[in-house]
Amino acid sequence: MYTEYAITYCAQNEYESLVKGAFWQFSIVPEENGTQELLEWKITSNLPCTQNESVNGLGFRTVHAQTKEKFTQANFKASFLVLKKSSNPFDFIPNPNPKMDYDAVESLTFKTEHETYLRKTRYTHLPNDFNTIFSFDRKKSIFENLLDLNHWVFVHLFFKVGVTQVDTPLREIIEKRHGVCQDFTHLFLAIARENHIAVRYVSGYLHQGNGYFGDSQMHAWAEAYVPRAGWIGFDPTNDILVADNHIKVCHGLDYSDCSPLKGVIYSEGGNTTSHSIEVKASQQ
Amino acid sequence: MKAKPKNSLFSSYPQKPELFDEVFEEGGNIKPIYEKLLYLYGEHSIKDYVNLNNKAKSSFFNQGITFQVYDEEKTQEKIFPFDLFPRIIDPREWDIIESGAIQRSRALNLFLQDIYHDKKIIKDKIVPLELLASSANYLHQMMDVDPPGGIYNHISGTDVIKHADGNYYVLEDNIRCPSGVSYVICNRTALKRALFGVFNHYNTYTVTDYAENLLQILESVKPHGVDNPNCVVITPGMFNSAYYEHSYLAKAMGVELVEGRDLFVENNFVYMKTINGPEKVDVIYRRIDDAFLDPLEFRPDSTLGVPGLFAAYRKGNVCLANAPGTGVADDKAVYTYMPEIIKYYLDENPILNNVHTYHCSRPDELKYVLEHVDELVVKPVDEAGGYGISIGNKLSKSEIKQVQEQIKKEPRKYVAQPILSLSVHPTYIDEKESFEQRHIDLRTFTLLGKDSEFVLRGGLTRVALQEGNLVVNSSQGGGSRDTWVLKKDD
Repeated sequence: MYTEYAITYCAQNEYESLVKGAFWQFSIVPEENGTQELLEWKITSNLPCTQNESVNGLGFRTVHAQTKEKFTQANFKASFLVLKKSSNPFDFIPNPNPKMDYDAVESLTFKTEHETYLRKTRYTHLPNDFNTIFSFDRKKSIFENLLDLNHWVFVHLFFKVGVTQVDTPLREIIEKRHGVCQDFTHLFLAIARENHIAVRYVSGYLHQGNGYFGDSQMHAWAEAYVPRAGWIGFDPTNDILVADNHIKVCHGLDYSDCSPLKGVIYSEGGNTTSHSIEVKASQQ
Repeated sequence: MKAKPKNSLFSSYPQKPELFDEVFEEGGNIKPIYEKLLYLYGEHSIKDYVNLNNKAKSSFFNQGITFQVYDEEKTQEKIFPFDLFPRIIDPREWDIIESGAIQRSRALNLFLQDIYHDKKIIKDKIVPLELLASSANYLHQMMDVDPPGGIYNHISGTDVIKHADGNYYVLEDNIRCPSGVSYVICNRTALKRALFGVFNHYNTYTVTDYAENLLQILESVKPHGVDNPNCVVITPGMFNSAYYEHSYLAKAMGVELVEGRDLFVENNFVYMKTINGPEKVDVIYRRIDDAFLDPLEFRPDSTLGVPGLFAAYRKGNVCLANAPGTGVADDKAVYTYMPEIIKYYLDENPILNNVHTYHCSRPDELKYVLEHVDELVVKPVDEAGGYGISIGNKLSKSEIKQVQEQIKKEPRKYVAQPILSLSVHPTYIDEKESFEQRHIDLRTFTLLGKDSEFVLRGGLTRVALQEGNLVVNSSQGGGSRDTWVLKKDD
């Protein structure tokens, strides 16, 4: 079964003082993979700017936009049409004995190949006094533990917009128990990595038709490497597995690899940015 | 009239028998290779020598050949202390240094290629995974990226010392942005200006061919599809401690010296702003650190880099020398595995010796280090320029305690080595108005291109100016001297 998604992304940037040139990098284009096909897309702006496709540090598609105009307001609107094939994250044959799972991920070859996604980063370093906040139950499979973790994060944190920033430390998120999808995801990643599971941060869009959390913003979730299944998406903000309603853009170690909009602005003074996102579905 | 007694310069030279002197044998006899030189210099009195030396030094200052020393309180502009008495390296010894330096550069390049792709050396358990996982310089953005020409460490600065046993040992390999080569050339120029005649008596390799060889190497790693590559040198700017060198190299290669703001990226190609409009840039000899290369990919507050540069690099449209992420291999902990790394990739025995190193990350070695701080050199693994080094036999009891505490706090951060007896060289000491023994090392410069390699026949002999001091880095107040590599007699 296929679903067609029409995604609209809008960003409004307002600058206090006149900007004399800018270079933006957008990481907002849906990835093309086994379940996603990008049918058409475009990005427009109120400014005359040159646009070209590029890649980010991990090779995902980005769009570079630059202008030599002087301005105080820069608006961008992007639209994407994505064909999504439905998938079932439970569709794999698990190891008969959970111990085989742990043997697999604890082998030197596995740890070497997945070193990148086992690395603790600034956003995913679990503070020492919290490192037993959630421990894996070795009698259960890795997949079952990750499902438990997904649920645990969902219960531990309350979804609240505007209380955390991109750089709010994990400690504060754990202690105050609130945040947005980035914070849910970073906490999931930190605990999984503490338990030697290779996990990555995913940025993308969520179709909220079913009343899921995610606001009208870019969404974030985690992908974990599950023995015999490969990378499976976990959405701790909604306590669900990633399937048909998630449209992936890119992944990385943490948010800093996936930030939807980065820019170098030749100006003094501050700026305010607001994003809005809309995802519409139509069954094929 | 000139003072005549032969070797008046050295008449009061205090020679300590326990030190390995480059010029004098144990009994005070001159080593054959220096005999002619001492005869020639012997025509001068100390006063003549001091005059010449001062002239040479002021010419350094007048040319702006200075560097800066970073300190907690202030930053100082200094000339590199220099004296006119050169070091001479025997051709047979040089053969070992040169082939050893090339061997290390090639092995390090293969190591980088491997750890940014299949990581076979780790799976084969030659090097532990923790070494990479804990290194801040291991860039995940470089994973599976193929640099043009397959070269990561185009420029390596390998530091070697001569030990009291007469053998050379490698202290470290610098493969981020090794500096110092401009001083090699300046030292030679200054010596030629002051005492041209002495060069008529020795068959010495030139050092001024470095720039042309560097340019050749840079051109050899041009991006695919480029015929005549446009090379530039990028500098953080005039406040950087090595700015003189950046400008010298650009000038000597005949290429532009640029700062980040002089370049821009469009459609994944890099351009330089010129009065005739944009000009495409193909190869960048970068003298700025990884973290500052591109604010979109690395430190977002960097104003030294170029937005979009890393994307252009990933697309294969520009070459960066050295490649981003080489720092993982000049980690002092990686150094300790060099003999194994050489054996693994090249199936050769190391030509140059490594100094035995204790890893504080290993519990049993940590214990040994903590118990023997007074007999060891303790170094942080990730600092360059001689910062944070402690030399055991120079420490007071309370300092030893401090060092032990530091190590215990972050064992992974430290390695330790036995205190080596670096060779000494007669060095003119201003305050004493005479020559005294001072410890020296040698920074060699090795270039690695697509199908070629080059070692500068000479190098930077660095001198620890304080009596008994073993740290020779210029940032720690070290000096330098011209270094001659002699051609073989045919």
